[in-house]
Amino acid sequence: MPEKLSFYIQRSSAFHSLNPLTKLGLVFAFIVIAYTSPFYWTATVIFGLGVLPLAFVGRVQREFLLAALRLLVPVTGFIFIMQSLFLPGGERELFHFWVFRVTVESVAQAYLTVSRIFVMISAFILFLLTTHPSALMTDLTRRGLPGTFAYVIISTLQIIPQMQSKAQTIIAAQRSRGMETGGSLANRVRALVPLVGPLVFGSLVEVEERAIAIEARGFTSRLKKTSLYEIADTRLDRGLRWFLLGLVVLSVAARVLAG
Amino acid sequence: MKLLNSIKKDFNTMTWVLIPVAIAINVVIGQIVMVLKLPVYLDSVGTMLVGVICGPWAGALTGALANTIWGLAIDPNALPWWPVALLIGFVTGWCARGGLFRNTWKVLITGFLVALVAAAASAVVNMLLIGGITASGSSLITVYLLQTGRSMIDAVLTTNFLVEPVDKISTALLAFAIIRGLSVRYLARFPRPENAAVEKNDLVALIIGALVFVVYVILVGSFFNIMFLWVGLAVSAILVLAVVLISVLKKA
Amino acid sequence: MSIVELRNVTYQYPFSERPALEGIDLRIDEGEFVAVIGPNGAGKSSLCYTVSGFIPHFFKGELQGSVVVGGVETRQSTLAECVRRAGLAFQNPFNQISGAKYTVFEEIAFGLENLGVPREEMRARVERMLERAGIADLAGRSPYALSGGQQQRVALASILVMEPQVLVLDEPTSQMDPIGTREVFGMIKELAGRGLTVLMVEHKVEWVAAFADRVVALDGGHVIAQGRPEEVLTDPLLAERNFGLSRYTLAARAALQAGLWPAGRRLPVTLEEAVEGFKAAAA
Repeated sequence: MPEKLSFYIQRSSAFHSLNPLTKLGLVFAFIVIAYTSPFYWTATVIFGLGVLPLAFVGRVQREFLLAALRLLVPVTGFIFIMQSLFLPGGERELFHFWVFRVTVESVAQAYLTVSRIFVMISAFILFLLTTHPSALMTDLTRRGLPGTFAYVIISTLQIIPQMQSKAQTIIAAQRSRGMETGGSLANRVRALVPLVGPLVFGSLVEVEERAIAIEARGFTSRLKKTSLYEIADTRLDRGLRWFLLGLVVLSVAARVLAG
Repeated sequence: MKLLNSIKKDFNTMTWVLIPVAIAINVVIGQIVMVLKLPVYLDSVGTMLVGVICGPWAGALTGALANTIWGLAIDPNALPWWPVALLIGFVTGWCARGGLFRNTWKVLITGFLVALVAAAASAVVNMLLIGGITASGSSLITVYLLQTGRSMIDAVLTTNFLVEPVDKISTALLAFAIIRGLSVRYLARFPRPENAAVEKNDLVALIIGALVFVVYVILVGSFFNIMFLWVGLAVSAILVLAVVLISVLKKA
Repeated sequence: MSIVELRNVTYQYPFSERPALEGIDLRIDEGEFVAVIGPNGAGKSSLCYTVSGFIPHFFKGELQGSVVVGGVETRQSTLAECVRRAGLAFQNPFNQISGAKYTVFEEIAFGLENLGVPREEMRARVERMLERAGIADLAGRSPYALSGGQQQRVALASILVMEPQVLVLDEPTSQMDPIGTREVFGMIKELAGRGLTVLMVEHKVEWVAAFADRVVALDGGHVIAQGRPEEVLTDPLLAERNFGLSRYTLAARAALQAGLWPAGRRLPVTLEEAVEGFKAAAA
């Protein structure tokens, strides 16, 4: 398990230095356009001419491709095969064997779905590789997101790996005491309680002390919060965001007009 | 104003600290369940917990954030389902506010109501974003039903209404077991400890709980004929109305 | 001038059977270092929570009597205002890490961000605090990747950087190993030397004897003794009530009963005093 739950790679690049909101806007624009565009090739083009080149601009191409390979290819591959085989309807048969009948329509539909999923996830991977979570949160807090949200997000990212390593310790400990994590269903259900119990109650007990600790640091202060870091927001950023908004509007309009 | 106050009530510092822990509980229990290869997900235990002791809005936020963070940091497949998780937290909180999280039978009813909403919502997300066949194990049912000549939407709905009740009722019962293990003094720090005030099983809840089983059996019938799905849902709707009526009458 | 003033304070937690504090009167003067000792359940933590405002703001329940810190009644202000006057650090260093930050530097700055301190001033204050706490070399590390002693010093620094008028410490070393204990006490000693007002709950009476201007003994929610450390820490009443007194005091007490300790000589708290006393007895 990774010690930190964060994809972020610290590098200096033109893409890294964009404002986090601009990058987030880019992600959402890519997704909305990929899903609303009436053309079947749009998502492919967005990936090939948008997401992928930007990974190179951000100098994270290696990490990007590895993450896509690890997280995306198995899932989209599975969905592509299943949908090609099983999507109903479709008249132009490509081939068939046993109970399966693969048609041009089912393959086309599967490709469309998969290319859209590919854009959605890969755009987020690119965003996460080039944006530190606390930079995003600092920027969003400055724009009016309540500070409590920033706390929840960053805290979650730090607690999950801690709980995962605790879970692994508990699983190992229970196994060494002879608990079976295999066997019949009843066996496995019985194994659930001694694994989940200590983990859940242990972490819930800590909640009260942690609440006291952050209250002691003025968490509920009504004064206007400031931030240690300054996140740059240039004219280029603002211009880009308007441009992206325009693209999204155009894409949605095209969808509505095309029916 | 009333709405704003209702939202505000859900959030105190304990809530803000509990939410990250609850999300981690979702993730870790979800992963333990995978290790044990159980036929359920149980990945909304934390969300339900927040919904009950902090309220529906906090539950909704927990669900939405859980799937977003899970999706962005661990497994992208979780990402599109955040609206479903949001509704799970909200409906749980809403039921708990109506007193439906105080004994085993009532919790079972809550689990069933949550399952109905989750099944419908995830069918919508599935049809809009994934196209019907997902990468999860339950898609095998969908695929089988497609082979019997069902339409995609029928197959997806049937799958969801078969799978969700088992999972959400188990999840709700596990969340209830956790709440019962927490001290009154500890629970009192959260915004809505009264939702978790455990009471004895009552007859009305038992009868409705038994009816839930009957409805589920009808829903299982939809595996063979889609008509059973609509009948099951109609009976569910009557059941929901009955639960609402009973709780209104009790208050009056 | 007293900076903390508790008058006839009684408090009971919600859902509990009996009051945690009963009729407490306590004054702490500016620059004073007051140590609180007592067995488990004596009300030591409750006293800390009361001075720092968590009682009643966080724990609810009913607080009777008056608690005035820095001239303001705690009940009359918000919790965030209370903790600015009386900063609280407690036992478990791990649970005091906010979780909202990735580095020690950011962690210490967290409180200042919440108080709306301007960026330049914030940086300067954090840097000064890192130096004073002797943790400047940890600034870029993750707070989770530190030893217990280091984490506790970060926790103390995170509170001190907010410049409270009183520092409230609830057994800050009870979960530390000997090295961590020495690190944390080294820092507290430095603070005491600068004249910071401190209220500290502590079991380790040898350390208490070394720092405290005054010792308050709590039992069953009542103050049962208070005064100079060498008086209170050798009070026979405390030994009878199962207070964890120093082993030197206990040894000398046994020696006194066996007629081996000079009659009329005060019982020792520290090793040095014990050695002196036994030398005198031998002479």
